Amino acid sequence: MATMATIFERIGPAMIADPERSCVVVTRCGLITGLVATGLAALAVPAGAATSAVAKFRQEVYPTLEKHCFKCHGPEKQKSGLRLDTLSPDLLKERRAAETWRDVRNAVNLGEMPPDDEPPLGDGDRRALIGWLNTQIDEAIQAQRQAGSGVVLRRLNRFEYSNTMGDLLGIADDYARDLPPDSLSREGFKNNGASQGFSDMQLENYLRVARDALSRVIVSEPEPPIFRERFTEPFKDKGYGPWSATLGRTGTFVASMNEYPKSGEFLVRIKAHAVPHEKMGYPQLSVCVGYRADVSAPFRELGRVDVTSAETQTFEYRGRIEQFPLPVRVQKKYNGLKIWLRNVYNNGTHPESVEPFKVPTAQILIPEKLVDPKDYLTFPQIVIESVEFEGPLFAQWPPAEHRNILFDSARRDRDESAYAHEVLTHFMTRAFRRPVAAEEVKNYFSYYQKIRAQSDSLERALREALAMVLISPDFLYLVETAAPDGRRWLNNHELASRLSYFLTATMPDRELRRLADDGKLVEADTLRRQTRRLLADERSGQLVEHFTDQWLDLGAVDRVAINPEYYPDFDNARKADMRHETQHFFAELLHQDLSALNLLDSDFAMLNEPLARLYGLTGPKGIRFERVALKPDDHRGGLLAQGAFLLGNSTGNDSHAIKRAVWIRKRLLDDPPAPPPPNVPVLDAVSPHFARLPIRAQMELHRKDPACADCHRNIDPWGIALEGYGADARWRDRILRKEKVGDLLQDVLIGVETDAVMPGGDAVSGIDALKRYLLEHKRKQFARALTSRLLAYSLGRSLELGDETTVDELTQQFTKNDYNLGKLIEGIVVSEPFRTK
Amino acid sequence: MKKSWHLNRREFLRGLGVSLALPFFSSMEVRGATRTTGAVARPRRFVTVYFPYGVSIPGEGDEQAAWNWFPKGEGRNFQFNNSLKSLEPLREEVTILGGLSHPHGRKMNGHDTSDIFLTGAELTGSQLNNSISADQVAAEHFANQTRFSSLVLSTDGGVGETTRASTLSFSRTGQPIPSLNNPRVVFERLFGVNEASKAEQRRELQNSGSMLDLVQENARSLRRRLGREDQQKLDEYLASVRQIEQRVVSSQEWLDVPKPAVDASGLRLDATVDTPLELIRTMYDLMALAFQTDSTRLATYQIGNMAGGLADKFPSLLGFGQNMHNLAHGWNKPGGIEALGKWDRFLTEQAAYFINRLKTIQEGEHTLLDNTMVLYGTSNCRTHDNTNYPLVFAGGKAMGFRHGQFLKFSEKTPFANVHATVLNRLGVPAESFADSRGELTELLA
Repeated sequence: MATMATIFERIGPAMIADPERSCVVVTRCGLITGLVATGLAALAVPAGAATSAVAKFRQEVYPTLEKHCFKCHGPEKQKSGLRLDTLSPDLLKERRAAETWRDVRNAVNLGEMPPDDEPPLGDGDRRALIGWLNTQIDEAIQAQRQAGSGVVLRRLNRFEYSNTMGDLLGIADDYARDLPPDSLSREGFKNNGASQGFSDMQLENYLRVARDALSRVIVSEPEPPIFRERFTEPFKDKGYGPWSATLGRTGTFVASMNEYPKSGEFLVRIKAHAVPHEKMGYPQLSVCVGYRADVSAPFRELGRVDVTSAETQTFEYRGRIEQFPLPVRVQKKYNGLKIWLRNVYNNGTHPESVEPFKVPTAQILIPEKLVDPKDYLTFPQIVIESVEFEGPLFAQWPPAEHRNILFDSARRDRDESAYAHEVLTHFMTRAFRRPVAAEEVKNYFSYYQKIRAQSDSLERALREALAMVLISPDFLYLVETAAPDGRRWLNNHELASRLSYFLTATMPDRELRRLADDGKLVEADTLRRQTRRLLADERSGQLVEHFTDQWLDLGAVDRVAINPEYYPDFDNARKADMRHETQHFFAELLHQDLSALNLLDSDFAMLNEPLARLYGLTGPKGIRFERVALKPDDHRGGLLAQGAFLLGNSTGNDSHAIKRAVWIRKRLLDDPPAPPPPNVPVLDAVSPHFARLPIRAQMELHRKDPACADCHRNIDPWGIALEGYGADARWRDRILRKEKVGDLLQDVLIGVETDAVMPGGDAVSGIDALKRYLLEHKRKQFARALTSRLLAYSLGRSLELGDETTVDELTQQFTKNDYNLGKLIEGIVVSEPFRTK
Repeated sequence: MKKSWHLNRREFLRGLGVSLALPFFSSMEVRGATRTTGAVARPRRFVTVYFPYGVSIPGEGDEQAAWNWFPKGEGRNFQFNNSLKSLEPLREEVTILGGLSHPHGRKMNGHDTSDIFLTGAELTGSQLNNSISADQVAAEHFANQTRFSSLVLSTDGGVGETTRASTLSFSRTGQPIPSLNNPRVVFERLFGVNEASKAEQRRELQNSGSMLDLVQENARSLRRRLGREDQQKLDEYLASVRQIEQRVVSSQEWLDVPKPAVDASGLRLDATVDTPLELIRTMYDLMALAFQTDSTRLATYQIGNMAGGLADKFPSLLGFGQNMHNLAHGWNKPGGIEALGKWDRFLTEQAAYFINRLKTIQEGEHTLLDNTMVLYGTSNCRTHDNTNYPLVFAGGKAMGFRHGQFLKFSEKTPFANVHATVLNRLGVPAESFADSRGELTELLA
């Protein structure tokens, strides 16, 4: 009972200080009484209880199941992948079985099972079945809550690792470049401890990356010279090329430097103005850094921006020179580091526009031949006034990131060993996100000493010892040590990490660390304040980006190739825009305190100029995303009209009604259809004019087979209602198909048909009706689904039976708070699962 | 003595094309084999190539019957249909296997069986624990005889999600082994040259060794403070530390063995999922080079997976008009047989390229193909149907295989008999594998 006392002590002050006592405190008290009760119960409920439950199952429940269920969910058939005769009736031991039993109970309670064409359950049978299920499920929930929060030791995933390395070392970079992709949980999340694996290849990579990074951060060479250059005229390369200070559809301003820094941060400052075109968007300035090899030019984009004014504008970009392709020193013909400035605005007549680059690998630039004189009439222009380069940038030598680790100290010269120990302790405290005991430093220090003895510099030895810190589990994992008996509250530093990785996908910042050090973070009002602070900070963009990416599978756009035979004008650069569209939309709801029901339908969209153009809308002039008001016949409100969903769940030639349907049920409603069964029966060959049939009719053909119909009648309608959108996410009233005639493919245009009958019998036609249907009939289910997903993401684990009450309470609050995302996130942060181990 | 087989000069091996002309490593023999036996023992290799979703199989008498993946006829008396036609010149190097499947796979969902292709495990219900894959059984056996115990490749990289893994290889404990998908990374790993001097490299390796010892000690003390489930997670970390420690030790041994000098200029190391043909060929080239240089004896390569991964768009990009999943699902739609058949043919052509490449590399009186078993195929016949796997088994003649036949089996013969045969022929002592019931003697001379 010593633990109970500690728990009381720890949360005592928070309970008193909590301004919103009502629900939160109740939850917490609930947990405490729960712990006490089950703690005692654990002594009183021996193994015999489970045995008697199993005996009861055999006597009272099994015969009912046998009579009503095994025909479809037994040894012969396993419809929806469900087999009941072998499902363990021991819910206390089998967590997954308990979840399946919960689904069984829900299906019976909702009257979905047995289905209409089977004999119904008798009253007595039903009571016995539901009674047994209720008792067992409740006991399983209690047992799980007592056993611990279920959060499994989890490793920083790719982007968390990369962000953390950047923050810890002070140099941003893609540190996860060569790490294998993250494994996915069943909800599609990449931060799930249970589904993460670990391999030697991974560890090897962490070590290599750590050594590389530390050799850049901790410098041992003398202060380097600073290079400053200013260009007002483009570099003329052998007298030919599209080199120009005016950038239209063609034209490149090149700045070339024979002398440049080898490493470190640099600055490029550009002064320019626009010659706008009244009917087109802003010209887009793309700034690239690299070199010219011969006909090819490896480079990487430093930045891209709209030039919006006819008055002079100044743009500044910073980068690390070593992250860009640098000239090979032996190269003679085209020597020097180059900065390229181009106008990458695409007015739609130039489909092969430059893809935006994210990956820092070399790209190939093919210079265009001539400046088109007609350009001046047909294209928005940029006039470059000057380009300045300065680097490396540092206020003093060694640079700040070095001094942040090897801090100034008088001790350094007096007692090197003590200094090294201090550096290590300081670094470990930040890397492990908690105070470290002297005992813990011991091994790292002894490794330092070993290396120091064989090398001539302190820096070299420290680099090695710090690399050891960066491959230790305390850094790579979010460590939460075990409670002596079952569940416990997180301590301040553990909570700081959970919060920080949830909201910003990186290590706790200075303020969180300070609050944790002072022992204040466990207080509920402090937690709420910090949540609001971080959500308001731009770093919460990490939550928006990664949660929407994973929840909604926005990456699907990269797995689909749009077929130019069907969509000749489609520009692949829109795929990234579509991903950003959904992210900006979610961010707008979060930051403007708008209802999350906007995800189902909204009267605005978040668009930039190229995407608005694709959708046939006007408003935005540049690449920045902005809010665009929608009229009803624009057909662009809500997630279901957004490109990432529509394109990502298409075939590249056409829509894919089933993929879209499965996406809605899985991701928006948390009601995924069963996976395709094994050994699907062979369907009859179909009409030769199959291509002329609308998808609805094609699917009806398939549904003739009762084996398919069972599942498909609950899947298909969701997708059919969205047939008004092609694979390219544009609104359409005709569908292009290719029909084989002899050896040739012939274009066939067919009409769009969107009539569908939803499960339950409501007739729905088209997206507007589908959205109304969702808002009227599925609002609650959607709110619960979003709450569950956000909670699962925040915890880094799949939800379990024991979370039911939390999800119910959070959903209730969410609904009461007008579906406000910020308040939902606050609620999650102060909820019991988030604060316990 | 144990390195007696090493080449004592640095051979120069080019990527594509040129290497074919070189009688490379003709002096090579298996490490540890004694000269007293007279004959030189050649390394034995095994490679598996998997593609998802199944193939085109029109019904009997269908007018599109020429697009049936499986040949006409049986035994030695068979004719290739369109899809496998590119194997005709290699007829005496391959056997087509029909009717095989994993009995456990037949109980599993239609898109879930790639995970067990090489393991034969049952992934149903709430227990989704896989078991070790055949290639890894062999990799354990050959550990330290080559610089890399195995080469695990795929299009998507990493491990993916359970039942839709993006790897074919699973460890002793059933953990998925992350696959590599970037040709540049694969090349660097196999053949990249470390600029540092040997003394420096040795010192770094020794330092790494001490570092890992200490890291392990720390992790063990952390382990004591963790809950049971967390301890299991940390054990994966600890296992990796031990593996790298072993690698650090063997790397020191390997330090004196120069990495084979391979010129990348003929290889398309910049190939990505947006250039599928180049990507697939480059991965095949890299596997051939890895075998040729005896950098490893085991390789697996998964071209796309049933999660609808990055390879799903390959056929669209290559002008086959549909993505992979839709081609597979469209086989019963008008024109669907042929559309899928053409994609099958494309994939076979790439496999044929690889088999042929192995065949043109001489190893003593045999070829590299004679010393390599190639298993090519998938775990669906038609999409969703987990029976009658379409399979090509090629190579291994020097290990006692005979070819030039189309063998049909009933469901009584478990697919794992193939795995058991492979392991035995590799010289890995394995009485059985998964649910095997013996060797597939029909494959043996």
